[in-house]
This record gives sequence, structure tokens and C-alpha cells, in this order.
Amino acid sequence: MTRLIQFVFASSVVAAQGVDPTILLNPPADSWPAYHGDYSGRRHSALTQITPQNVAQLGLAWAFQTGQVQQIKCSPLLVDGILYITVTDNVWAVDARSGHQLWHYTYPPNKGFHIGSRGVSMYKDWLYFMTPDAHLICLNASDGTVRWNVIVADSQKGYWTTMSPLIVRNHVIVGVSGDFDNLTGFLKSVDPETGKTQWRWDSTPPAGTPNATTGGMTWMTGTYDPSLNLIYWGTGNPTPVLNGKARPGDDLYTCSIVALNPDTGKLSWSFQPSPHDTHDWDAVETPVLVDANFGGKPRKMLMQTSRNGYFFVLDRTTGESLLTTTFGPVNWSIGVDKKGQPIPNPAKEPASDGRLIAPDEGGLTNYRSPSFDPKTGLFIVDAHPSYGIYFAKPADGSFGWAGADYGVWGKAVLDAIDYQTGKIRWSHELGPNGAGAGVLTTDSGLIFTGDAAGNVLALRTSDGKTLWHSGAGSQMQSSPITYELDGRQYVVTSAGGVLFSWSLPEH
Amino acid sequence: MTSRNRFLIALLAIGSFGNAQSATDQSALAERGAPLFIQQCAFCHGRDAAGGEDGPDLTRSKLVAADAGGDKIAPVIREGRPEKGMPRFSLSDPELAALVAFIHDQKTKAEALVGGRRGVEVADLQTGNAEAGKQYFNGAGKCAACHSPTGDLAGVAKRFEGLKLEERMLYPRGAKAKLTVRLPSGQTITGELAYHDEFTVGLRDSARHYRSWSTSHVKFSIDAPADTHADLLAKYTDDDIHNLMAYLQTLR
Repeated sequence: MTRLIQFVFASSVVAAQGVDPTILLNPPADSWPAYHGDYSGRRHSALTQITPQNVAQLGLAWAFQTGQVQQIKCSPLLVDGILYITVTDNVWAVDARSGHQLWHYTYPPNKGFHIGSRGVSMYKDWLYFMTPDAHLICLNASDGTVRWNVIVADSQKGYWTTMSPLIVRNHVIVGVSGDFDNLTGFLKSVDPETGKTQWRWDSTPPAGTPNATTGGMTWMTGTYDPSLNLIYWGTGNPTPVLNGKARPGDDLYTCSIVALNPDTGKLSWSFQPSPHDTHDWDAVETPVLVDANFGGKPRKMLMQTSRNGYFFVLDRTTGESLLTTTFGPVNWSIGVDKKGQPIPNPAKEPASDGRLIAPDEGGLTNYRSPSFDPKTGLFIVDAHPSYGIYFAKPADGSFGWAGADYGVWGKAVLDAIDYQTGKIRWSHELGPNGAGAGVLTTDSGLIFTGDAAGNVLALRTSDGKTLWHSGAGSQMQSSPITYELDGRQYVVTSAGGVLFSWSLPEH
Repeated sequence: MTSRNRFLIALLAIGSFGNAQSATDQSALAERGAPLFIQQCAFCHGRDAAGGEDGPDLTRSKLVAADAGGDKIAPVIREGRPEKGMPRFSLSDPELAALVAFIHDQKTKAEALVGGRRGVEVADLQTGNAEAGKQYFNGAGKCAACHSPTGDLAGVAKRFEGLKLEERMLYPRGAKAKLTVRLPSGQTITGELAYHDEFTVGLRDSARHYRSWSTSHVKFSIDAPADTHADLLAKYTDDDIHNLMAYLQTLR
């Protein structure tokens, strides 16, 4: 190759902007181009500049103030040196080297539920942003101007949206929220250029079907296996939420992990973490994809620490169960069936005089990301050992919540689970009530997460020992990311309405 | 109406958002508060303010019942209750007024409903057996190791009832703990635990002064009697809880 051709080739790579969907298959170190960083959902980075030996020198590179009372709940994207972050109704583009704002997009006032925004997604030069009134907005990444705006679901009926869509080739795959009403959950694939619907998959029958459940919302970003061409998605709880009598049976496909073809939306297999849920335990926690040995045999696996307190390891080709175990106090089941699914104890359904349930409604973990560390084989999760009391009586009816529940006690613990046995190798106490922070691991043997008091922590992956911390003033309600720019590794975390970028001192 | 009277009424309407306004003004205000409530509050408190994902039923809240024109509700919205997971909200006075009117309106509507509402009545929690509860208190539950029906729990059923009593019985949130710190000099300081994370401990001493230390610089111990309640959660049957409730309700 001549020098000239080399030069042209190099500059064309540099000039390429945005996210070509093929880079999602193997994201470069100077990017975090999707919600989970890659398709696997492991939230693990190959970067090794920040190590257990030098992490004590970690310091603030910059902070970005959204100026909002709303907390940051998004996972930032990093593409071409620019970070894209969100809170409800707001998107910012921020220079990842300096932390200064490039543009700020504000969605017009609307009557949707303002619960949170988990971030944007990117396809070529376009960003995809979901709104409280269940619209999908396509923005020009260079200036935040609106290209198109389509309705995903009818917010008047009680739907809203918060998620960062999953991009697979030319599919923008979006899910919905809404369990205050008896509504059908669904996933939709949208054309990235036109906003037209390509397919829709319903998780539950149409509302009003006798004796059938509604619900099964799809409010977290799924994962994708390119070799099997399957997307993996967790679905939410059934409705009515606490009254199970109105919806006898397992209530498929609520509280399920489903494998779908991204081109057609056709269901390949399903597994149900919580058959006939009556405790609001969405099974939407990240379906983490791991290729490794299990029982001495190489396996393509899917792992989930589920809100209901169970850790599941599945063969992701077939949905076959490899391991089902609890990772904290769980008192609502009477065992595990032959498919590896927990069997709910009818005596632990909400009742008029109350039932004491572990975990509480927030669950043993929730939507913030866990992380899988391939070197140690540890699945690291922010856990919330807890108890709640659940009530339901006929007068509460069979619509929406249909009962009441109250948290009694809980604490926050970071658990390191050995995926082959389900045993907890170490636990790191994070404080009272809950921490709710996501987890990032890196190849150098570090974990980044947050505690209940609002400290950002760097721990040693092998034993959970704290190596560095910094008080951020508020709990981390998002999941950390990391990337390398100009040869310098950054870790980005949030607290309240502020984004923090951490790195080693420049020499 | 004279223009002077009109002026006075306008002043009243501006000056307070509860007392002097007509029912129609209030209902117009509540209507303006509805979309705001849906956007900002409904996820936790429910669309009808009767409780949602994890926030309490505002239509039965004591604070709402005691509120007059926003004097109790507005400060909570402005400041939040971070210890209970409620964020603060930055809203204008007219927005706050509309929210307050909406909450009061929902309370009125909820009180007019018969039976259709979520919530826990005192009557719901009467399925236990007081004698069995007393046995559990003195026996398996080991409650008598710390509590006495004629001492700290005398009249407890007069102070708390229903769900509040049950919640306090299961885990007394906000119960005081004692921190003892031993400084490198050998000096020991004891006080009420005021802060504790992995890196810092703080206490209020007998003069109510706050003092804190880096956990790496001192030795310390925490005496938190409420931890015993958390330990019991894994041991209770639902019957134990209902029986204990029945027993505690005899302590009037």
C-alpha cells in the first residue's frame, strides 16, 4: 500500500462520524456506542490504564452540571469524542475531553409520566430518544435538531417510555412502560431512517381478554447475539399488579426472558423468572451474555440477577436452564420446577392481613447494570437484601396496582457471584436501605460502583477490597462507563444532576 | 361588588392558596395541578394520589390532613425527603399551589369512595391471636429481652395503630443508635450515631455537638438495638406477625 493510499484510508476512518451498526459488534476503545457499551450487556471493558496499583491517584478530570433537579439515570454514549446524556425531556451533547456543552435539546412540555430517561441510542449520525409521552424522537447528533418524531404507544392509555433503544443493523428496537393500567406490553422495531414500524411483538394478550394477564412491559434495553441472530429481552410484571386471582396461571410472557429474531420479532424461546408474579418483580434486569465453560463444557450462556432474588444461568441457544439459585433472602417460593423456574408459594400472595415478603418491591436488585468479569468468572451485582409487607383485598379491585405494599427494612451489598456454582464469593457492604448504583468492571481487575451514602467506589475485583473512593454528594442512579481518548482512560459516573469524569493525573 | 371588595378578594386569592377561595377557584386550581401531578408525582404516589410504585397514599396522609393551603405540603415538595427517597422539586409558587389543590381534591374524592380504595385499615390487621402473640413476645421472639409491656411499650396501642404500629413493630425506622469512638490517644467518646459510611463516622455528643472522624484513623463500635428487629425478619411466620400485632394492641 502506498503512503498516499494509507493516508486516505486513515483519514476516511477518522472522518467517519456516528455509529455504523457494524462497530456495535466490536466497539473500539475510544467509544461507548450503546447503552451496555456492547451487545453482551457485560459492562466490562478491556481497558487497563487504571489499575489496582494506581487507582488511588484517580482524580476529577471534569464535571458536567445539567442544572436539573432530576437525577441522571442514563448510561452515557461516547462516540467521536462526544458524550450524549439525558434526563427526562432533555438531551445534551458534551465534549468528552473538557466536559463543556455542545448543544442541549429540550422536548416540549407534555403530560407523560416523568420517571427517568435511561439514555439515547445512535445509528449513523442519528440519535434516538424516548419521551414521557411515549414518542420516539430522531435527533441529528451534530446539533440536536429533530429529524422526525413518531408515537410508539398511546400515553393517554397510560403508557410511557424511558429506555435507550437497542440498535441491531437497521432496526431501532423500543420497549414501553405502564403498569398503573391493565395494558399490553410490547416491543417494536422501527426503521432508523423513516420511523416506520417494522414489526411488533406483544408480551401479553389484548387488554380485556377474559382471565388473561396484561402487563409484561419492556422498559429496559435488551442484549443481542449476532451469531444466533437473537435479541434477549426481559419483560415486566403482570397487571393487575398485586391481585393474582384476576389472571390465573403463569401469565406469559410477563416476568420473562424472551429470545426474539430482530428481523421479524418472532419468538425463539422464553424462560420465566417469576411465573404468576404478585410482587411487582419485573424481570427486566440485564440479560448478560457470556461465552465460557459451564460444567467443563463451552457454552453460550445468558445470566440474569433477577429482581425476585434469583440468579439464573441459561443456555442462550435454547433457553435451557443451567443454574437457578438465590443470591440473598427470598421467602416467596416453594422450590424450582424442572425448567429451572421458581414455583411461587400461594401463601405468599398479598393478603388482606399482610404477608411479609423477601425481597421488597424494589427487589434484590433493580434496573441498574450488573457486570460480568471474565477473568475471575464473577458476576457482580448491586444487591438489596430486604423485606416488605404486601396487602391485597377484594375491595382493591383488579385494575392497575390493586393492593398496597410497604418496604420494611433493607440494606445495600455488592455481591460477587461465582457463575458456575451461584455461590457468593465475597460481599461488600454498601450501607443502609439501598445503593442502586450500576457496576462496571475492567480487565485490570477493578470494579467501579457507588454506595448508599453517595460515594463512588473503585474495588478490587478479586476480593471486593476498596482501593479508592470519592464523595459525589448523591447516590449514583446510573451505571458507570469507561473509554480511552488520546491515550487517557476515563471513567464516567453520575450523582444527582451532575456527571463526573475521572482519570489519572496527566504527566 | 365594589372595586375595593374585588381588590380585597384578589389580594386574598394571591396571598394564600387555600383559605379564602371559593370551591370553583379550588377546583380550577386542582385541574391545573392534575397534569403536573401526573408528570412529577404519579409514578411514586399513584395517578390518583392514593399510592403508587413506592410512595405513600397521600389521600390518607396525616401531613396532607394537617395541611392548610400548602403550609405543610409545599415545604416537603420543595425540600424533598431524601432519607425516604423523595427528591426535591423546583416548582414555582403557582405550580405548588396547583399541586396542593390537586392533592386536597383527590383526598376529598377518595373519602367519598366506599371500599374501592387501596390501603390498609386497622380492621384488616385483626386476624391474630393475642395470647399466642404474648407467648411469642416472651418466648421465641425474645422481644422481652429489650421490651416490657409495662415499661417502654405501656400504652403503645394508644400511640400507634394499624399499619403504623405494624411497621414500627417490624422495624423501627429512625431508632437511635450509639457510637463509641476510641481515638489514637486512647480517649473514648460516646454519643448518638449521626453518620456512618465506609469512610466516615459521626456522632452528636451530650452537648449535641456534631463530631466526625475518618474510619481509618479511629477504632469504633456501633450499638444499634434496632438490628435485632432486622434479624427477626428472617424468622417470623405471617401468623407470628399477626399474633404479635394482636398482643401489642392489648397494650393500651
